[in-house]
Amino acid sequence: MKIILIIILILSNKIIAKEVGQIEITTEAGIEVFQNEKYYLLKENVHIISDNFELSANFVKAFFENDLYDIVRIESQDNVTLISSQGMKAKGGEINFSTKNENITIKGAESSLIYGNIQMFSNELIKVNNMTGEFNLKGENSELKTDSIYILGKTIDGRYINIEGINEIDELLVGDPNQSNIKTKNINMFSKKASYSKKEDLIELFDNVKIIRDNEVITGDYAKIDTLNQSYKVFSKNSKKVKILIKNSDE
Amino acid sequence: MLIILIVVFSFLILIILIFKINETPEVKKEIEGILTDSSYDVSKPKFTINSEEQKISVSANKGNFKNNDEILLQNNVLLQSNKFKIYSDYVIFNKKNQTANSQNESVFIAKGTRIESEGFNIIEKGNIIKFIGNTKLTISE
Repeated sequence: MKIILIIILILSNKIIAKEVGQIEITTEAGIEVFQNEKYYLLKENVHIISDNFELSANFVKAFFENDLYDIVRIESQDNVTLISSQGMKAKGGEINFSTKNENITIKGAESSLIYGNIQMFSNELIKVNNMTGEFNLKGENSELKTDSIYILGKTIDGRYINIEGINEIDELLVGDPNQSNIKTKNINMFSKKASYSKKEDLIELFDNVKIIRDNEVITGDYAKIDTLNQSYKVFSKNSKKVKILIKNSDE
Repeated sequence: MLIILIVVFSFLILIILIFKINETPEVKKEIEGILTDSSYDVSKPKFTINSEEQKISVSANKGNFKNNDEILLQNNVLLQSNKFKIYSDYVIFNKKNQTANSQNESVFIAKGTRIESEGFNIIEKGNIIKFIGNTKLTISE
């Protein structure tokens, strides 16, 4: 009984260790304070816990502005994990973010950012401004997934909006010198460049276009897809170039 | 013969005890404290680290000169500037280089900031403060 009581006391002490509004930082290999340059250098097994986020890394530079308590930017390296109080989870070799404007940059192989139903993956760069919803993904085979759409490309730029707690893609621009890919529930689309506008319910595909729906494959130079009724038009600079291939599923 | 045996045995126990005490740092510190208690060189020493940006005053209850440049400050050592205070019990201050370092538990307090560490080094006239070992920084926004 006594042991249980002691365990409860220890645990409760840990839970209430950080007060509301405080930032608690622990390291295993010390903290260096650079007063003129205005930053802290945090080394080895660094854990930062605040009301808004939790961060783990092995090397962190925390920049302060007016005084030592006024941390405005965090640059972290080596096995970084960032979890925001809003449910955003980021992982990468390097994560930099601003505590003021919620700009997050994730660099390195196997970078990822998961925010509700939006998932972003890249081997080079993920940039998100959580205040405006603007994002940029860069690197071979960068991926963006939601419940309704899958995007693969070398560059994926866009913006998400939060509608009743669900993040939805509002605008999108995808590029890949080889072939980018946009996949919805019914249509699989390929092209070198693509754009999406939720406002206009429109996906546009540019260069080396290929659309696959059920047993139908259409190729051309440009395509417009109405995302509301899932209809599309494919064009070609050379009118003879549009090609339709209909597969017979019974064969 | 018995007396000789008792003397030799007691001598051996004494040697073992001395070795054991030296292995425990806390006890070693206590012994150092006792030894220096009656033989400290300076009572309530005070020094200053001066830079263009700030002036850090260094004070303690006792000080023992280690060499021409270094002095071991003991008991209630306080390093204080207009921006922060550092509390520790054992600090080596280098007059020539204007540096201070400690391998003992230290507490740094500034406006909205508290750092607890296993020691510290102050270099570049106080511009850089390195807190060593397991360190905890608490910021109150």
